[in-house]
Amino acid sequence: MLALAFGPMAQAQPSNQSTSDSPLADRPNGPRRAEVGRFALVGGTIHPSPGVVPYEATVYIEEGRITRIDRSLGQPPATFAVIDASGRHLYPAFVEAYYEVDAPMPGTPGAPGLHWSALVTPQRSALDAPWLDSGARDGLRKLGFGAVGIAPQRGIFRGSNAVVSLAEPDGDMSGHRPLVLREAVGQVIAFETASFGGRDFPTSQMGAIALVRQTLLDAAWQAGQDGLAPNALTPLEDARVPLWFDVPGELEAIRASLMAREFDRAAVIVGSGTEYQRLDALKREAESGNRTLVVSLRFPRAPTVRSLADTEAIDLNTLMAWEQAPTNPRRLQQAGFDIVLTSSKIPSGIGGRNSFHGLLRKAIEHGLSEADALAALTTRPAELLGVSHDVGTIEPGKLGNIIVATGPIFDSKTKIMDLWVEGRRHEISQPEKPGLEGTWELTLAGRFRLDLAIDDKGKGTITDPGAAVAEGQKAPSAKAILERSVDTLTVLFDHEPFGMPGVFTLTGTVMGDAIVGVGARPDGVAFEFAGTRLEREEHPEVEKKKDDKGDDLPPEDLGGYPFGAYAVAQIPPQESVLITNATVWTASDRGKLEDAWLLIRGGKIQGVGTGGWPRIAVDRTIDAKGMHITPGLIDAHSHTGTWTGGTNESGQAVTAEVWLGDTNDPNPVNWYRQLAGGVTTVNTLHGSANPIGGRNVIQKVRWGSVHPRDMHMEGAKAGIKFALGENVKQSNWGDRFTTRYPQTRMGVETLIRDRFIAAREYAANGMRTATGRTDIQLQTLAEILSGDRLVHCHSYRQDEILMLCRVAEEFGFKIGTFQHGLECYKVAEAVKEHAIGASIFTDWWAFKVEVQDAIPYAGPILHEAGVNVSFNSDSDELARRMNVEAAKAIKYGKLDPQEAIKFVTINPAIQLGIEARVGSIEPGKDADIVFWSGDPLSTMTRCERVFIDGREYFSLEQDKAHRQRIARERERLIQKLMREQAKLPERKRPEGGADNGLDDGPADDPGVDGPTRRGVYAWFFGHDGHEPAGASMCGACGVLPAEYLELFAREAR
Amino acid sequence: MRRVAAALMTCAVTALSHGQDLTPRGLAPEHPVAITGATIHTMVPGQAPIENGYVLFENGRIAEVGQGERMFIATTRIIDARGMHVYPGMIAAVTRLGLTEIASVRAMRDYNEVGEVKPEVRAVVAVNPDSTLLPVARTNGILLAGTFPSGGLVSGQAGVIRMDGWTWEDMTANANAGLVVNWPSVREGHSPFGGGRGLSEEQIRQRIAQIDQLFDTAQAYGSARLADRSTPIDVRLEAMLDVLPGALDQKPLIISANTVERIQSAVTWAAGRGLRVIIRGGRDAPMLAELLKRHDVAVIVEGVHNFPRRSDSDFDEAFTLPARLHAAGVRWCLAPGNIDENVRNLPYEAATAVAYGRQLGFDEAAAMAAITRDAARILGIGDHYGTLEVGKSATLLITDGTPLEMATTIEAAFLDGARVDLSNKQRVLRDRYREKYQRLGIIEGGD
Repeated sequence: MLALAFGPMAQAQPSNQSTSDSPLADRPNGPRRAEVGRFALVGGTIHPSPGVVPYEATVYIEEGRITRIDRSLGQPPATFAVIDASGRHLYPAFVEAYYEVDAPMPGTPGAPGLHWSALVTPQRSALDAPWLDSGARDGLRKLGFGAVGIAPQRGIFRGSNAVVSLAEPDGDMSGHRPLVLREAVGQVIAFETASFGGRDFPTSQMGAIALVRQTLLDAAWQAGQDGLAPNALTPLEDARVPLWFDVPGELEAIRASLMAREFDRAAVIVGSGTEYQRLDALKREAESGNRTLVVSLRFPRAPTVRSLADTEAIDLNTLMAWEQAPTNPRRLQQAGFDIVLTSSKIPSGIGGRNSFHGLLRKAIEHGLSEADALAALTTRPAELLGVSHDVGTIEPGKLGNIIVATGPIFDSKTKIMDLWVEGRRHEISQPEKPGLEGTWELTLAGRFRLDLAIDDKGKGTITDPGAAVAEGQKAPSAKAILERSVDTLTVLFDHEPFGMPGVFTLTGTVMGDAIVGVGARPDGVAFEFAGTRLEREEHPEVEKKKDDKGDDLPPEDLGGYPFGAYAVAQIPPQESVLITNATVWTASDRGKLEDAWLLIRGGKIQGVGTGGWPRIAVDRTIDAKGMHITPGLIDAHSHTGTWTGGTNESGQAVTAEVWLGDTNDPNPVNWYRQLAGGVTTVNTLHGSANPIGGRNVIQKVRWGSVHPRDMHMEGAKAGIKFALGENVKQSNWGDRFTTRYPQTRMGVETLIRDRFIAAREYAANGMRTATGRTDIQLQTLAEILSGDRLVHCHSYRQDEILMLCRVAEEFGFKIGTFQHGLECYKVAEAVKEHAIGASIFTDWWAFKVEVQDAIPYAGPILHEAGVNVSFNSDSDELARRMNVEAAKAIKYGKLDPQEAIKFVTINPAIQLGIEARVGSIEPGKDADIVFWSGDPLSTMTRCERVFIDGREYFSLEQDKAHRQRIARERERLIQKLMREQAKLPERKRPEGGADNGLDDGPADDPGVDGPTRRGVYAWFFGHDGHEPAGASMCGACGVLPAEYLELFAREAR
Repeated sequence: MRRVAAALMTCAVTALSHGQDLTPRGLAPEHPVAITGATIHTMVPGQAPIENGYVLFENGRIAEVGQGERMFIATTRIIDARGMHVYPGMIAAVTRLGLTEIASVRAMRDYNEVGEVKPEVRAVVAVNPDSTLLPVARTNGILLAGTFPSGGLVSGQAGVIRMDGWTWEDMTANANAGLVVNWPSVREGHSPFGGGRGLSEEQIRQRIAQIDQLFDTAQAYGSARLADRSTPIDVRLEAMLDVLPGALDQKPLIISANTVERIQSAVTWAAGRGLRVIIRGGRDAPMLAELLKRHDVAVIVEGVHNFPRRSDSDFDEAFTLPARLHAAGVRWCLAPGNIDENVRNLPYEAATAVAYGRQLGFDEAAAMAAITRDAARILGIGDHYGTLEVGKSATLLITDGTPLEMATTIEAAFLDGARVDLSNKQRVLRDRYREKYQRLGIIEGGD
């Protein structure tokens, strides 16, 4: 246990402890070591710290620390070992901020003081892990790192990180411990799911986040308690300890920031390399304090794009990520973050840690300044880790941690020669072998003269300088085979042109411009030889003409949010809009208004009516002749955007502590697709894995939101998902799942009742547990009892529906909705009394046993019986045509169309408790409206325009512009890749124009796919015998007739 | 509508009290039947709907299709369908109807036989005539369905069933519509950080070689059997003889392929071997229209209510697939996206294709053809079903509008001239619980 061995460190001492008489010091193994620990690195160019102009100086190191920097370059005292650093560049050794180590688990499960979750181990320390093996240490030093921040891996609360030195033990291996520069730097947290440990919870990221929240609450509570024995949470009690969040993506970085803000904790985000994709949200988070990001250089590989099949398979996001990822460090820097670069988290597929410098150069090519890069590897990580007093700059008083390099450190040709750590030299690269180019005048056996010419490619030629050469004839010469090892050169050549036939061999030692050695004739007779280099041709380094990278750099503008396709550059403005001549389905008592006008202003509906419209100034007028307008459609059951955070937290039967709003994802294009189908508000629900599931979040489909939280509908009524039947009793989960309570519908009732009893006690205790803790689970359930939170209950069979009605009756709350509630039609009288409504599938049935009796007539029957009914999707695909779903109420119940449309508008709004804001077209409500090409309940109608909050989030014109941008960007990127992969030169873009002629194609043709795609296909297959539209666009390909494709396929067999 | 209903009451008795599989079987009348005064949508190419038309049928066959008033022989049962529409019965080209009931229950799954290559299994022999799923689809006008085995490389033989019958033999309209094949992936994948799951070129080659070898073996087997009848019988290879070149009635391979490389690979491979091919899925087929036309390859589109391929694809990419195929002149038809319990929603998928395909010239008539005539042809029953023409089967619907619209009701249906009962289990449940609420006084009585 190193942490105990060293104790808290005020100031670290170099580990060369043979000279220390500290009572804590190791005892020597064998004779005392007393080498001179004083060095003078003379004549190098010092880069003492980022941003400082380098200068020549001598650096003095004594007993591990830098003691003096002498710019006068005076003669070092004799007591110092002199190291010639002339021509070298000296930098402070780098500091690796984040290196994961395998710290052991704190004890066997069940041991006292442990947390119930094996993933919550704040008491672990990275220092408990085995010290890095020599390969790992070597690997880090080769990259220039002299100190490393080590962090425990695995788990949610992983324990504390620490900083240790990377100095190699000085010969004596027996007592070696790394020098600990600082321990207990911070607490490392990851939103990890249960992949190890004894419990299954959490199975989702939202479960992990809920566990982090509850644990931090518990730690705060514990900090205020007296007399508790030290336990797992003790290290978390000190709220000053920064939280280091190790996150797998940019959304998680935001989630981590939100969590830190919630608890007012300092945070460090160890990122994924994708931060640029959500930069503005991160900036917004940074405004409240957390500006430090540890940045990994995860730059994706270039996708292979050779064939049409390849290009068809790859999406714009992947293409853009390939191009833009190297801009991430620079964009973060520009955005005002203090970035720290890590060599960790570089996948082996792109070269792993060893490719760090190459990737870093790429980042610099993409705009990261060298000063920032240097700071991100030296001063900033030192500060972040709290070890600036020891490392990070070349300054007197600091550890002798110095990189000695052959040139500027970020230059591709520069090599690190030595790394000094704690004042000890670690050789990184062998000194370069001196070049042999030139003409060597050799004298063999003291008499015979031959010349050996060696060119800059290392090829040798032997000639006889004394040979008489007739006019027009070549001098005799022979090819020389050269072999070199360190400072020895062996030359083999055919001697015949010079006299004695046969192969001669010479082997000599090279000393600068001289060579001395022995040779042998073909007959075995040995002789000595010597030589000198006559002339040394200076080959001025042919400055490889740097590609004009400027032309090839990725575009600065990412297009907005979300990253990739359909990005929105700017959230549309809230204009005042007057819509005239429309057929307006109000979904209110006013029914359908023919030839009506509608006025929206400030994001709200200001008026709707027929006859003369108000003559007032507006930003915009829309003549909606022939169009129908409905309220924005509301989907009362959605799981869109829950895949990254998890739809289900299925690790426990009761998970009221999890919240879908923690992990809502604004990225999936399915949001856009639903928007294009007229959906404006959704109820994002937890899945149905548990009797008591997670808390919901009601979201508006604000496509292009900068921050995930911008999707949340402000002030929406809180809710929670419950579930009954087959899913919660794990009927279809497989044979492994037979032990979790409940396994029967009997147990489902019991469990729900039991939790409500506990919640009642919790509420009675002033919203505290018996010991005074806040328990999010019970708090959530107590909110149901107080009417502040609605239950939305997944259910199928009438028995279980009735059961929950009785539970609601017993505990005195009103149920929000029965979700799916397929057999609600069998107990309509109970549903009517105990629930606000039923939110059902229209016609799904027979996909499992409990839905055998589901009927499409259920909605109409319930409606007839006076139950508020909505139709929901529970499907990202179905959600795109909720209007057609509503029409099924007409099909199966002959409902008045005015009532049918309510099934997807005002009725779900009422069920979700948001009807004051949305669901109908009435003055004062949010201006969430949809334009339809005709009767919205017709299967052959399409959505044409959507407003949310009075902002036009979708229109066919906008969609067309999206398609054009996507086509243009795809083409540019695919061309760039094809040229790179085919090694074809970059084609210059025409001035100010489009990238190619395709955009000038027949764009007026209301094409299927936008101009580019159509153009490519037409070109590829020569449709309609037209001249290939893009014949000039792609030099990498030829026109491929169908015969060729067949030939290709045959060969592929 | 009342008129039609009244007229139909004399044809057969609707027994709503019987549910699901207990619905009565259709009975072909002994006398001729004439449906008069309706708009007849014959689905014959180039033929406009016949206003005020009639259809006369007898012994299950259409005897006459015409316009205006006409006298019929006295025994003719006349159905006055003024204001109504007559369409061919709809065909769900790819389903698992009859082979499954509740797919989450293992005992109720009869579509996926064990193994990778099982050409010998025939879907029709496992069709359960009493499945509750059949009447539910029938109610909405689906009168014929392709029923497909699945799984493995070669899944077995697809059949076409009539949606009403006493036994699977009764129900069989085509015992072998083709051999169901799932084309393997033939493209190396990309993973941004390496270590991907992509296929190597060698793996791709092996996959195609495996299929090649199978057909080589079948070919050799066929020759051997022809030359020497004592060659031992291999039921697997025997089953493949029907698809090989030279077979008397060469059956197609119905190959699942969506991506450009799979379609290309499958079609060129099959063409090289002289095999007939139908592509099932065909998402990228419009890009290969010339190739498909060159080899007369038809495409069965499996639903339009699908996601686009990529996140950057047009949001309506799947919705416009029918229109794009149509515009490219490829032979194609539309199959339902849901192949089990909700086959009934087939016409609404066709309707979506119209909503998003109009600007490409895709209209309601083309959409209806895709789920009647064109489906019949591709499933090998086009000589008998799919259009309303003299000599063809009297398999038709009487409706109060286009079946593509949700609000339209299928008033009556005839399958090979026999009146089909349009009740089902769900209607029985509806009536039972409406009655409950009438008794409770929550809802009013009546229809």
